[in-house]
Amino acid sequence: MTNSAPAVVAKGLTKRFGEFTAVDAFDLSIDAGTVVSLLGPNGAGKTTIVRMLATLLTPTSGSATVCGHDIVSEADAVRGKISLTGQFAALEDNLTARENLLLMARLRGYGKGTAGRVVDRLIDRFDVGEFRDKLVKSLSGGQRRRVDLAASLVTQPELLVLDEPTTGLDPRSRQVVWATIRELVQEGVTLLLTTQYLEEADALADSIHLIDHGRSVAAGTPSELKARIGDQRVDVVAVDSAGVDTLAALLGARFDITVTPARRMVSIPAPDEIVDLTAVADLVRTSGVAVDEVALRRPTLDDAFMALTGQPAETQAADDSMAGVAP
Amino acid sequence: MTATATLPVAHVADHDILPSRPNRGIRYVRETALLIGRGLRMIPRVPERLSDVTIQPIMFTLLFLYVFGSAIHIPGVRYQDYLLPGLIGQSMAFGVIGAGVATATDFSSGVIDRFRSLPVTRMSVISAQVVGQVIEQILGILIVAGVGLALGWRPHMGVGGTVELMLLVLLGLFAFTWLGVLAGMLIRNSDAMQGIGFAVVLPLSFLAGTFVPISGMHAIPRAIGEWDPLSALVAGVRQVAQGIHSHGSWQLDHPVVAMIGWCLLITAVCVPLALRRFRTATSN
Repeated sequence: MTNSAPAVVAKGLTKRFGEFTAVDAFDLSIDAGTVVSLLGPNGAGKTTIVRMLATLLTPTSGSATVCGHDIVSEADAVRGKISLTGQFAALEDNLTARENLLLMARLRGYGKGTAGRVVDRLIDRFDVGEFRDKLVKSLSGGQRRRVDLAASLVTQPELLVLDEPTTGLDPRSRQVVWATIRELVQEGVTLLLTTQYLEEADALADSIHLIDHGRSVAAGTPSELKARIGDQRVDVVAVDSAGVDTLAALLGARFDITVTPARRMVSIPAPDEIVDLTAVADLVRTSGVAVDEVALRRPTLDDAFMALTGQPAETQAADDSMAGVAP
Repeated sequence: MTATATLPVAHVADHDILPSRPNRGIRYVRETALLIGRGLRMIPRVPERLSDVTIQPIMFTLLFLYVFGSAIHIPGVRYQDYLLPGLIGQSMAFGVIGAGVATATDFSSGVIDRFRSLPVTRMSVISAQVVGQVIEQILGILIVAGVGLALGWRPHMGVGGTVELMLLVLLGLFAFTWLGVLAGMLIRNSDAMQGIGFAVVLPLSFLAGTFVPISGMHAIPRAIGEWDPLSALVAGVRQVAQGIHSHGSWQLDHPVVAMIGWCLLITAVCVPLALRRFRTATSN
């Protein structure tokens, strides 16, 4: 069963809301059994893409198929193949975790008895047991997400769509959700994942589309994207912002630096690696500026975003309060 | 058609394969019933949602019966018998707010999106919303009527009148619930829905002759009261339940016909708009 058709093929997918173009001629192909991540800041159009593929929005132009079914003319067939977990845990607050899961299972078509068995198995698997009979409104963010993920899996979807699955979660809950997603991936689930966390795409995805202003600005595997930035870098983190200015002036005279004031960081390309590191370290030492860190590191997706969109993803994505606002 | 890779199914055992999908009609009924069940299960858990249709009318009953009522004299009628039919009419109109708030809440929480991304008939989602809300409002009206009866309300209607009243109330609730569902989808914010709903429905319900006769009002509120749909509900219920006739405009002279007309008109306008809106509206 290796010769599988792509799970998703999108061509020229476009969505306009009035004058505003949320998604602009977006192409996408997802092979069955792989994990594709749409990575971008808020308002980049990720959610709009996902909502079109999940048949919740009709594209203005362009077309897409999911598991061979057209998202517009065969929307109902598409809904039978996919499972969407939206940005918010879309659970009924006033039902218990188990009641929510049962409702999803019954709506998917299981009879009462089978639904109960399926749900109890999901409860075991997602460690929902200890709060299965609590009302969802009393659960923590991480617990809700687990129930939400379980709700997406009452049937085995051919395509699982997770829209920002860890937005707003604390780091520990995020790790739990990641572990769950990794398990699903090992079982061969095809996954489309949106995220504004570079780290998340890097950790989970086989391939990444960097999305900005409704367009794919770069695509490839995490390491390909990193390779497009090329060099290793030296990061110098000053202890205070006055130090950053001094370092920027000093290092900027010799290197093509990038300054991230919020992190009090000056970043320098280091094609000659240890030689550059030594040169930078010498300059910093003679300047007398107090630093927290001078380190050689491989490029991250942050650097990729900076290089490919001309803007640091960090600052664009920083405003988590906007996380719920599409497009 | 595409052959997709067979995936290991770890969490759903092989013998729990989904039953084959029945036809649309059967699915619609089954899904609607499931979703109504969801709504009803929540009633005891969110008592504040019921309070709009219970505590508030009860408060009106007590306030008007024992506070303002002492200053209101309606010739030939005990005030209980004038007030209670009015409150039942008002309750139907308040259905707009309950349905609107519930719909706005569902839309903004993303629950509706999840349902819409499932292979369920979309009609079932909205039907369940309407039926569930109507049931909630009926509960509220039963409570108000019960309190009224306990406080001395004595309706004058036979079996036929009772059946007629029940059918009229159902029709009224149906129409005003659709109006509320549509409003909830347009406004999408439950707090805003609550605020706007009260700002519109509450004053209109006072002008509708719920508490005092329209005929004694100042010219402007009288003109509104003579022709707004709420006064048709109030006058209609009052005529059927009590045999009290209202006067002042064609609609008040023929309140039952007017009420049926208004309800059919509201339904005819709101149902297609709500369905259309539902197909395109999303939580964002």
